[in-house]
Amino acid sequence: MSIIYVLIPIAILFVCIGLAIFFWAVRSRQFDDLNKEGMSILFEDEKKAVKPEVNPDKQPPQ
Amino acid sequence: MSYTGCFHCNEAIPAGSDFSLSIEQQPRQFCCPGCLAVAETIIDQGLGDYYKFRTAPASKAQLVPDQLQLINYDSAEVLADLTQHKADQTQIELSIAGISCAACAWLIEKQLKKNPAIKSVSVNSSTARCVVSWDVKQLKLSDLLNSINQLGYQASPFMADQEEAVQQAELRRFLKRLAVSGFMSMQVMMLAFGLYFGDYTGIEPEFEGYLRWISLFLTTPVVFYSAKPFTLSAWRAIKGRELNMDVPVTLAVFYTFLASAYATVFDTGEVYFESVCMFVFLLQLGKFFEFRARTQARAATGNLLKIMPVSARLVQGDELVPTSARRLEAGQIILVQAGETIAADGVVLSGQSSVDESMLTGEYKAVNKASGDTVMAGSINHDGVLKVTVHQALAHSRLGQIIELQQQTLNQKPQIVEKTTKLARFFIQRLLIIAFATFLLWYFWLDQDRAFWVTLSVLVATCPCALTLATPTAITCALARLNRKGILIKNQQVLEILPQLNSIFLDKTGSLTQGRFSIQRTHLHDTAYSEDFLLALIARVEAYSEHPIAKAFSTYLTTTIKVEQVQVHVGSGLSAHWVQHDGTSADVKVGSAAFCGVQNESAAVCCCINNQLVFTVELSDALRPEVPALVKALKQRGLALSMLTGDSSAQVEAVQQQLEFDQVFKGCSPEQKVDHIRQAVAKGDKVLMLGDGINDSPCFHAAHVSVALDSGTDLSKNQADVVLLHNDLNLVQELIEGAVLAQRIVKQNLWWAVGYNLVIIPLAVMGFVSPYVAVIGMSFSSILVVSNSLRLLKA
Repeated sequence: MSIIYVLIPIAILFVCIGLAIFFWAVRSRQFDDLNKEGMSILFEDEKKAVKPEVNPDKQPPQ
Repeated sequence: MSYTGCFHCNEAIPAGSDFSLSIEQQPRQFCCPGCLAVAETIIDQGLGDYYKFRTAPASKAQLVPDQLQLINYDSAEVLADLTQHKADQTQIELSIAGISCAACAWLIEKQLKKNPAIKSVSVNSSTARCVVSWDVKQLKLSDLLNSINQLGYQASPFMADQEEAVQQAELRRFLKRLAVSGFMSMQVMMLAFGLYFGDYTGIEPEFEGYLRWISLFLTTPVVFYSAKPFTLSAWRAIKGRELNMDVPVTLAVFYTFLASAYATVFDTGEVYFESVCMFVFLLQLGKFFEFRARTQARAATGNLLKIMPVSARLVQGDELVPTSARRLEAGQIILVQAGETIAADGVVLSGQSSVDESMLTGEYKAVNKASGDTVMAGSINHDGVLKVTVHQALAHSRLGQIIELQQQTLNQKPQIVEKTTKLARFFIQRLLIIAFATFLLWYFWLDQDRAFWVTLSVLVATCPCALTLATPTAITCALARLNRKGILIKNQQVLEILPQLNSIFLDKTGSLTQGRFSIQRTHLHDTAYSEDFLLALIARVEAYSEHPIAKAFSTYLTTTIKVEQVQVHVGSGLSAHWVQHDGTSADVKVGSAAFCGVQNESAAVCCCINNQLVFTVELSDALRPEVPALVKALKQRGLALSMLTGDSSAQVEAVQQQLEFDQVFKGCSPEQKVDHIRQAVAKGDKVLMLGDGINDSPCFHAAHVSVALDSGTDLSKNQADVVLLHNDLNLVQELIEGAVLAQRIVKQNLWWAVGYNLVIIPLAVMGFVSPYVAVIGMSFSSILVVSNSLRLLKA
């Protein structure tokens, strides 16, 4: 069981890293709008207009 | 989403209109050319994803954005007032009206990022603000604003006030503290499970000590960082010789923490690190939800600068120089075109127009202005062009004064001492005395060794968790419940006051009534035309007017009728040529009886075709449909109802006859309104004020509870304690009911918490309760209180 002397400090280290990343994210204003970022995954980053065979229905009507 | 109405805004599609567009091979119907144009832009730009993922319909698009006003923003002076320069880039903060969900933010960001002149865009969908940095040399501000307007939103420059920046910083601190207590709670809980199992199956003292030390290490930041707001608040209270709810919280946190630390260091007794962490985390979470609700309410409504005119056109000789409204001085002459906001108080030098002063007076009827008449800053010029001599700088204008009056009344809000604070004070005093007495009793007379642990179990068992959670959890759940129904509560004290309410003051124009003209009666004089056709014809012609009367017809607008040469005759009406199907045209006149040359006609709008009277329409500012039932229901609750209005016309009597208020005050200035409410407050009444205009907002601070309507001005929404998000006055009933329900739950919680303590204290003092049992009792009563509060979320 003495392995916990190693494993628990490692776990704590990970917690600290996680917290540090979270603090950085908060400071760089990533949490200022809690609604928008959750939605952003739904939208494609760059609309590839030259791919009609994939998304034929998204072409603008003529 | 399913669409029964307009594909863009989901409003009903007026009969006879045909605006359709094929989107993804499906024909979609629209309610007006505005929505159609916006949808066309969105689809043409390849942003059709917006319609797929949005969670709320868009707001109805306006066809003609105020292009004239926008151009004024390009003047160097105005730009300097509104923007910040960083190297070759200019940064501006915009307030965007019409953002309804996260998809809107995406849409605006996408659209703006397409322009190479724009370096960065960030839209915040919960506060409806947008920060843009761009190159002014490549793109004018007016074009930037216009590209947002094309998507159906109204963007206007905005300057965040100090308070808002502070709140943003506070939000970030909240998130960090929550993260620390949340992460640590998980870790400590995990270790605590190891210790629980150790108690059952046996654990080597060496490992037990190790787990305790780690828990101590992990709990330290929670106690000293996450719980800091509670500690500071408690410290302030004690310094001011007061006791608030944070005092027992801090006491519980520190006492439990120090006792556990003592137990860890000296390897004796029990540890409660997991309780400390969870307690701090849960309390923080409650506070965080409350804070978020408040910031959202504030940001969504707090937009003072929008009503302050930004730009003006200065007349210098023959030239027109755009300038910033804030730099206007007395004696200067400005030109105000149709649709523009008047930038300063002054006197009309030349020109004739009708002006909407409803923002300042609450009166929606347009006032005719000719040379020599005074005009006020913040009012909107409808149809004519005015030259105005400036009398006072913007800060000293009537608008500025009303805002000032508001600031003055801000600190004079009648205070109600929170009941729970009183209870806490009483309870904590007794608790501290009992704990101290217990310690002395055991130390000197009973068992010196057990004194510390018995005192601890007294404090832990009675740990005021349940007591401290009783009110906040119930209030948070009540806020969430009301929010879901469309009631935004910015000041949660109102929930405590509302059940004691006995008097309601209501504003008339815009609150009890719809605040706009609607068609009351029509009369057909020539049966050759149908009524529907004539309404559509009038709507077609009136579409060219900015006058409030014109808006009464906008729902009848169709595209099938063709008119040409529409002319606006200031203060009287419009004339046009109607092109019939066979190509011939007829003269159409729409306007006042005198304008149409008709005698003995009292109707507000007459319509003539080829100088022949064919149709008359009577207009009125109708009561909201739900008002009579609401007034009856409020009276049944035993509330005294009073009507406060700036209006002194006969309509007040008509409304009074129908609704029978207990008191009516008519023709009131904003100052008089405040006085009437102060008198009621001085009498000892608990007063609610419901209003919508700028002229009502000073009253908001005088009353115990203030309620603003969503259709009201931004200023009034900013100042009110409660904002009704749907234009439905029945929400007032919901609000009162919700508050009564919340109070009942709080009472139940308090009874339980106090009752439990009364049973456990004697047992603990006698030493029958081991700290272990005390923790179970404490957790159980906390869970009971929280689940009781959660009942508020149902239904």
